Amino acid sequence: MNGFFRYFLKRLALGVLTVFVLATATFTALHLIPGDPLLSEKEQTPELRASLMKQYHLDQPPLVQYGYFLKDLSRGEFGISFTQPNRKVNDIIRDHFPVSATLGLLAISLAATGGILLGSFSALRRGQALDRATLFWVILGVSVPNFVIAACLQLAISEFNQKTGTEWLPVGGWGSFHHRILPAIVLALGTQAFLTRLMRSSLLEVVHQDYVRTARAKGLSPLRIFFVHQLKNAVLPVLTYLGPSIASVTTGGFVVESVFAIPGLGRYFVQAIQQLDYTVILGLTVFYGSFLVLMVLAVDLLYGLVDPRISLEGRTR
Amino acid sequence: MSSLLSVKNLQVEFRTDDGPVQAVRGVSLSVSAGETLAIVGESGCGKSVTFQALLGLLPTPPAQIRWDERSGQPKDWAMIFQDPMTSLNPTLTLGTQLEETLRARQGLRGQAARDAAVALLEQVRIPEARTRLGQYPFELSGGMRQRVMIAIALACRPRVLIADEPTTALDVTIQAQILALLKQLQKEQGMALVLITHDLGVVARMADRVAVFYAGQVVEEAPVQELFDHPRHPYTQGLRASLPEGHGTTAPSSSTSASPRRLTSIDGSPPDLLHPPKGCAFFDRCGEAMQVCRGNAPDPYPVSASHFSRCWREVRP
Amino acid sequence: MSTTSNTPAPSEFERLPWPRPPEARRERPSRSAWQDAWLRLKRDAWAVGSASFLGALAVFTLAGPLLWPIDPAAPSLARLSELPSLGRQVRVVAKDTPETAARAATETVSRDTPETAPPAPAPGETLAAPPPAHLRLLGAPNVLGVRLVWQALPGAASYTVYRAPGPALLHAQALGVPLAEVPASPQPHYQDSFELGPGPWLYSVVAQNSDGDESPPSQPLKVDLEPGMALGDALSENAEARLGELISLKAHPMGTDSFGRDLLARLIQGARISLSIGLLAPLLALFIGLGVGGAAGLFGGKVDLWVMRVTDVFLALPFLLVAILLQVTLGLPPLTALVALSWVGPARLVRGQILQLREQEFVQASRLLGAGPVHLLLQHLLPNTLGVLLVAVTFAIPQAIFTEAFLSFIGLGVEPPAASWGTLCNDGIRTFLTSPHEFLFPALFISGTVLSFNLLGDALRDALDPKLRGRS
Repeated sequence: MNGFFRYFLKRLALGVLTVFVLATATFTALHLIPGDPLLSEKEQTPELRASLMKQYHLDQPPLVQYGYFLKDLSRGEFGISFTQPNRKVNDIIRDHFPVSATLGLLAISLAATGGILLGSFSALRRGQALDRATLFWVILGVSVPNFVIAACLQLAISEFNQKTGTEWLPVGGWGSFHHRILPAIVLALGTQAFLTRLMRSSLLEVVHQDYVRTARAKGLSPLRIFFVHQLKNAVLPVLTYLGPSIASVTTGGFVVESVFAIPGLGRYFVQAIQQLDYTVILGLTVFYGSFLVLMVLAVDLLYGLVDPRISLEGRTR
Repeated sequence: MSSLLSVKNLQVEFRTDDGPVQAVRGVSLSVSAGETLAIVGESGCGKSVTFQALLGLLPTPPAQIRWDERSGQPKDWAMIFQDPMTSLNPTLTLGTQLEETLRARQGLRGQAARDAAVALLEQVRIPEARTRLGQYPFELSGGMRQRVMIAIALACRPRVLIADEPTTALDVTIQAQILALLKQLQKEQGMALVLITHDLGVVARMADRVAVFYAGQVVEEAPVQELFDHPRHPYTQGLRASLPEGHGTTAPSSSTSASPRRLTSIDGSPPDLLHPPKGCAFFDRCGEAMQVCRGNAPDPYPVSASHFSRCWREVRP
Repeated sequence: MSTTSNTPAPSEFERLPWPRPPEARRERPSRSAWQDAWLRLKRDAWAVGSASFLGALAVFTLAGPLLWPIDPAAPSLARLSELPSLGRQVRVVAKDTPETAARAATETVSRDTPETAPPAPAPGETLAAPPPAHLRLLGAPNVLGVRLVWQALPGAASYTVYRAPGPALLHAQALGVPLAEVPASPQPHYQDSFELGPGPWLYSVVAQNSDGDESPPSQPLKVDLEPGMALGDALSENAEARLGELISLKAHPMGTDSFGRDLLARLIQGARISLSIGLLAPLLALFIGLGVGGAAGLFGGKVDLWVMRVTDVFLALPFLLVAILLQVTLGLPPLTALVALSWVGPARLVRGQILQLREQEFVQASRLLGAGPVHLLLQHLLPNTLGVLLVAVTFAIPQAIFTEAFLSFIGLGVEPPAASWGTLCNDGIRTFLTSPHEFLFPALFISGTVLSFNLLGDALRDALDPKLRGRS
């Protein structure tokens, strides 16, 4: 396990470095621009302005500000919003991230299970009707933007709800589990299509591998050949894409959250950008960046556990 | 002398985008207990496909297999492959891959399977066999992996062991060790050995009988000494002439002239099996060809009781 | 095997001369790798279909403004959010103001009705059912206004006027939308101009007494309206327009948007922007990647090490954040993030290819024969990397179009005067429920284009992959 531990440390260090670079780059970029971050404040007396400057450390030289920023960051503090001076960025994350995370988690599990199952069936029935249908579905899934799917689904379901008078599948808002179904499906579709394609081509590749022929020559049962020798090896590349997939589901969340009127962090982020709320942008950027790095790290570690070649040889793919 | 494996008129076709490729076009073979049959021929001549088809290792949607008659017990046959790097499953320990074979073929499980696996590894001269069980294929050298492949094949308790170019991917020194091991195991277990190779030197050292493949057919079949001393088919003669004097044959043959001769190569390339020629497959490259060869495919004509040649010259009036 | 039955004649056993003349041999034709790929591509129905679609799209984009010379920015207040139509005809009609309507009504009243005023409504009096033909039209109805008049009912304190779209009343007894409550008067009347359109409409009136009791509805009055347009609006469509005449309207094959702008012209303009982004961004990224990856691959060592570390960091940067940062901090359009981030993929690809090719025998041989680095690059490395790069670009194009649409959709795309397919989608989704064509057409263009590029990329990859050659 020594090799695995070294691998883990290396990946962790690289992740921390990436977050640090991201934070510094964002900070530098935000402070390089001309303009007054407090400009958005409506009525400002000189006294109020001075106190605000002091509160946000804007009266200090940039390097000192950077020091404050890093100090806060090391304690996990992201500062106070510029547009809502009595709200901390941490509170915003605490209030809205769970919504985005629930939605994202549901979507990614839908996408992964759907992708692996559909991809496997399609590869096993290669060239048959099911395979053709899957291929068409996949190409459609990666080609139709999710806001289009969201809008069409919303229209269809609301028509259906009107016709039948049911409210089982609400087309907007947040609350019960029923509210999560449609957005999660929309969020999952693109990634699911991508993972299906990956799983299919991966399994097709594995089917032609020499060790599968060996397994057949050994006289193993077809079930054991499929599950132990084919599926396990075919799932590995799909696993590596789960990290980036989480990224695409998270960013895809911006659109889905706005179309379905869900009070998630993504919508808040877009709002902060439109209002140029610097601390919120900075805080959420670092937060999202760390989250993505963490997810990619987790998936890589999982991969290292499943595939002995990675961790034991101590080198990355 | 009973036949442990025999087939009459084997045909294998692969469906491709361009049309059916006739990889094997009417091969008849028979292997008797304890003998070593060498199968020689260049890449793509159908020598591997023939045995993979017999053992049911070819995926049958692209491949189509027909034969007039097959005899022998498939459970008595085992096969090892060319590339030990890819023939073992990279994500399973050697123990797992050995024990699953023992379980499928001999019904052994648990400690019994473990002990049998250790015994097999020791049988193929792998040191520290017990610790190897927990290792993965990538931790072993090429020669060691081929030994593991042989151990897996032995776990099937074969009466015929088919070795498909078992030494092609290995270093020269390792090649000799593996061949020696095969020879010794054959003696110990009383197995018949089918050695698929394109190395005539290996043939001369190991084989009792030789079948020469060309373009999906057996063009000549004879006891090894007979074949080296009196090759009848122009293709075999070409192969023989491409070898240096004394190479391959255990005793320098007396039939060739005493003066040093130039090594020759066979010009051209084998025919496209997508559109197999109407006449003799070797026609384009044959310096002995006659009018009849162009449009009429020759049958295997007996030279002696144990020697066949698929050439019109055998029946020239 | 028996050989006696079909033994050929002895003359057949004559030896042929050796070496044989070339025409006597049976050779198979040889094809180069590119020829082979091309043949296989042509055989792929999906690839041919996609290529045809993209060809048609190219004509649409390049020749579109010539074939359809309509100003995409010209609004028309008379034709907001219109469904797709080809040159239809409308009658130019006069616009009624409430004053003229009221005057016309009183004039008619004084001519047609008896002098006696209806008795004042008494509380609690039950309302009689309206007589047949109770409801009448006043003057000629058109899409700008329908004037209704009816006899006062004894005991009525007010009347409610209902309107239903023509066929609706045939299968449902619904009265339709309540348009207005009209107070009782000697000659009650009402002018309807609320979102009227061509087609049959059914009007009915229900009287109420002061207690709020309702009479049974009147017999419905059916009004058939032909397409019409006010003179002022008609003049902007057709300078020859005269009151009462039929004029042809400009065709809008894909309808109009919520400002009355021609959607087809806007889609052509959008295609130019979306496609140029879709083509330029990947190509730019490819060239940067080619340079960086090529340098890393060729020089190796320290250069390679650092380039790879930089690409590692770039890979970890989330796209949307970079897009936003570029806009917020440097004032660059967020789309530049496409180029800023997507060069990493080609760079790694080129580096990997070059590292692989460098070790191959034919490159080594060329180097031993004294070939310089430029010769090596142009003669051996680039041509052998071309296939992989071609496939990568084919997949990068739909990705860029997709990303542009996504950015435009969340309001970070091209700036307002210009319109891309993404911004058209963004505009259209607001009116999706009432006029879905404004959203569906740009969405269809995006999906169709991305689909075609994806299919073509798939086919290209399969055609160029030597591993797949000859496999079904």
